[in-house]
Amino acid sequence: MAMTAQEKADAKAEKKYYKKHRNQYRLKPGDIVFSIINYTVFTVFTVICIFPFYYLFINTISDNELVQRGLINFFPRGIHFDNYRRLLSVGDLFTSVIVTLARTIIGTALMVAASGFVGYLVTQKQMWKRSLWYRFIIVTMYFNAGIIPWYMNMSMLGLTNHFAAYILPGIIAPYNIILVKTYIESSIPGELEESAKLDGAGTMKIFMTLIAPLSKPILATIAIFGAVGNWNSFQDSLILMQSAPKLYTLQHRLYIYLNTASNLAALMSAGSTSGISDSIIQNVLNGKVIKYTISMVTIIPILCVYPFMQRYFEKGIMLGAVKG
Amino acid sequence: MSRRQTQSAAAEGALEREKPAFLDHLYQGYRVVILVLFMTIFFPSMNPARICGLINRTSSLLTCAFSYGSLTANVGRAFDKGWILESTLKLDHYSALVCCLGIFACAAGACVSAGNGRMKRLGNLLSLCGSASSLISLRGFDAAYRQIILTEKPDKVKPSFPPFLYGMAVILLAVLVLTVCVMIGMRRRPKEDHFEMETQYRLFLLLLPFLLLTFVFCYLPLWGWRYAFFDYHAGESLSLSNFVGFKWFRQLVGNGARAKDILRVMKNTLIMSFLGLGTSWLPMMFAIFLSEVHHTKYRRFVQTFTTIPNFISWILVFSIANTIFATDGFLSSIMVNLGVWSSGKNLLMSGSHTYLKMWAWGTWKGLGWSAIIYIAGISGIDQQLYEAATVDGAGRFQKMWHVTVPGLLPTFMVLFLMGIAGILSNGMDQYLVFQTTANSKQIEVLDLYVYNMGIINGFIPLSTVVGMLKSIISVILLFSANAVSRVIRGESIF
Repeated sequence: MAMTAQEKADAKAEKKYYKKHRNQYRLKPGDIVFSIINYTVFTVFTVICIFPFYYLFINTISDNELVQRGLINFFPRGIHFDNYRRLLSVGDLFTSVIVTLARTIIGTALMVAASGFVGYLVTQKQMWKRSLWYRFIIVTMYFNAGIIPWYMNMSMLGLTNHFAAYILPGIIAPYNIILVKTYIESSIPGELEESAKLDGAGTMKIFMTLIAPLSKPILATIAIFGAVGNWNSFQDSLILMQSAPKLYTLQHRLYIYLNTASNLAALMSAGSTSGISDSIIQNVLNGKVIKYTISMVTIIPILCVYPFMQRYFEKGIMLGAVKG
Repeated sequence: MSRRQTQSAAAEGALEREKPAFLDHLYQGYRVVILVLFMTIFFPSMNPARICGLINRTSSLLTCAFSYGSLTANVGRAFDKGWILESTLKLDHYSALVCCLGIFACAAGACVSAGNGRMKRLGNLLSLCGSASSLISLRGFDAAYRQIILTEKPDKVKPSFPPFLYGMAVILLAVLVLTVCVMIGMRRRPKEDHFEMETQYRLFLLLLPFLLLTFVFCYLPLWGWRYAFFDYHAGESLSLSNFVGFKWFRQLVGNGARAKDILRVMKNTLIMSFLGLGTSWLPMMFAIFLSEVHHTKYRRFVQTFTTIPNFISWILVFSIANTIFATDGFLSSIMVNLGVWSSGKNLLMSGSHTYLKMWAWGTWKGLGWSAIIYIAGISGIDQQLYEAATVDGAGRFQKMWHVTVPGLLPTFMVLFLMGIAGILSNGMDQYLVFQTTANSKQIEVLDLYVYNMGIINGFIPLSTVVGMLKSIISVILLFSANAVSRVIRGESIF
């Protein structure tokens, strides 16, 4: 980073200023104490936030025998990646991964395309009864019929136990439509569109060649948040896929796994192990490692997109503060 | 520009006056009838394809047309025993498909009719063919019904003539007649060479598919609120005989056990919400103190890693809770290895301090994330204010209190009001995953209660009532919060 002459002069003046008012800016004992406490509190909270992930991870790559005995607490020992390999042989899990990946990719792509297109369309002032239709979409953010009517509706449409139930309802995302609309109105000059129109470009062409490329930042933001949402979603799998275990999402599979393991663990701790055969106990014991590994598999994609997401945090949140 | 617009508008107006008004009115009627026709494909009670009791009661014409699997979901046994011929239901399925496609053609015709004469002619042709083929397909349902009444076991198969078949026929005939009428009307119009449509309608038609999706997934569920007024059990149909009016509403306040349940659930919901609202200043404080960390890289580090928990699902949070607090988790293994505990304990199983625990998990997950909006807010505060305060001799905490906090207060107020509006909606995921037998009394918030009652235990009407009241109260709260915001800040929050 090269400093301009102006900046250099500024920096110099600033130094001089601080030298002159040294007394005022000298660290006082109170400041030091404050800093120590402040840094400590933040460090502790950050560790609380990270440590579980770290703990989970070292337990999945350490020697399973040691993990079983609870000896892996701070550092990994006997590193191996067999658990991840073994996980693929758990058939249910593999289909869950595929289903979740499919819904994340297809669902997010359609949602982004639809939000972009609808967000653009509702900026078109010539549209017949534009504001009415815009409100028609946006109002759905503020009410919902409730979980039972929603379930009845989905079964009425024949979407229960059907993959399309993951995709179709998510295509329209009112909040994202607001974000795109606001972005187009505030960041893309209307003259660009006007001149494209004068050149004879149609609505679709203007959207594809002009608006979509120019609104890439906001589309990327909603894509990333949409993908995380899709990856994490679990309610639709839990409620709609009751008789289609093949379509369970990864989160749902993990939930089932955690539940059966903890139920068995509860039975065991209550001392009623006599009713359970040894093989099941063995399963629960192995279950600890498998449980941890599935959790890791579910977390890793999120940690992978996380660095990309971070760039869009503030943008997304600040845009969200703008009214629709 | 503006003059040109007014000129063209005037020209259009003149054109409009020239048009024969009667034909336009006819076209309006034609579109309305087709809209009604299109709606029928979503409603199970208007399904002409339901020719026997074995076909699922909740399946609409759309489902029957596009999913043979769900049409025959309960029929497998009847097929095996030979009560129903497979060809009968195949006939039914294909009739439904033709009927549906015909209705789609009618709808496309109605859409296209917004264009110029050439387009209108195309549209007429579409809806003529569509309505005619749908009418023919109705004959297919009839034939399938005639086949199915010949079954050996009428008591098992329960053949029933679909009552809406006549209604559908009437609507389709109306479409057909109207189409013929507008076709005759169009004969007098001059013929154009190419397809054209006014921009306003073209844009609307581009948006229409998305409006349809919104309608189907956000507005259509409201139709399910009718279950609140019936004595409904899964698999039955709604009829006048099981209409019970406001019985379930009265039960919520009247019936002893039920009312007690509701009181308990409301108490849980409100306590959890108020714990959240009462500590909603925490993210603001987090942001303010984080801005006092002057080491930039460390600040970024803290900010990065405290936001991670927000992006994992509640199931993963539960999984993490397990890895730390379960019998074989981190805490137990440390305590056992140190010899403090004789054996591992599962802290998640206990029913004590449920509210606080749930609040703590919520805070762990959301604190860093919620702070981001305040961090952005702090960077937006005018630096001169701080300099002025320093000159006036303000200390660190005075600057925080008198400069930073007032700067962030508007944001805080908006979020606080939104929080009040959402006081009944704590979401269900968190409470569902942390629910155990020991804490189920305290953890059951409204959303979870509705789920447990409706989906798990199958009390559909009652849980619809609760969900419905919740939705209505939430909307009222939202509008009140907005009104309060208008009075206090002179600005609405949405």
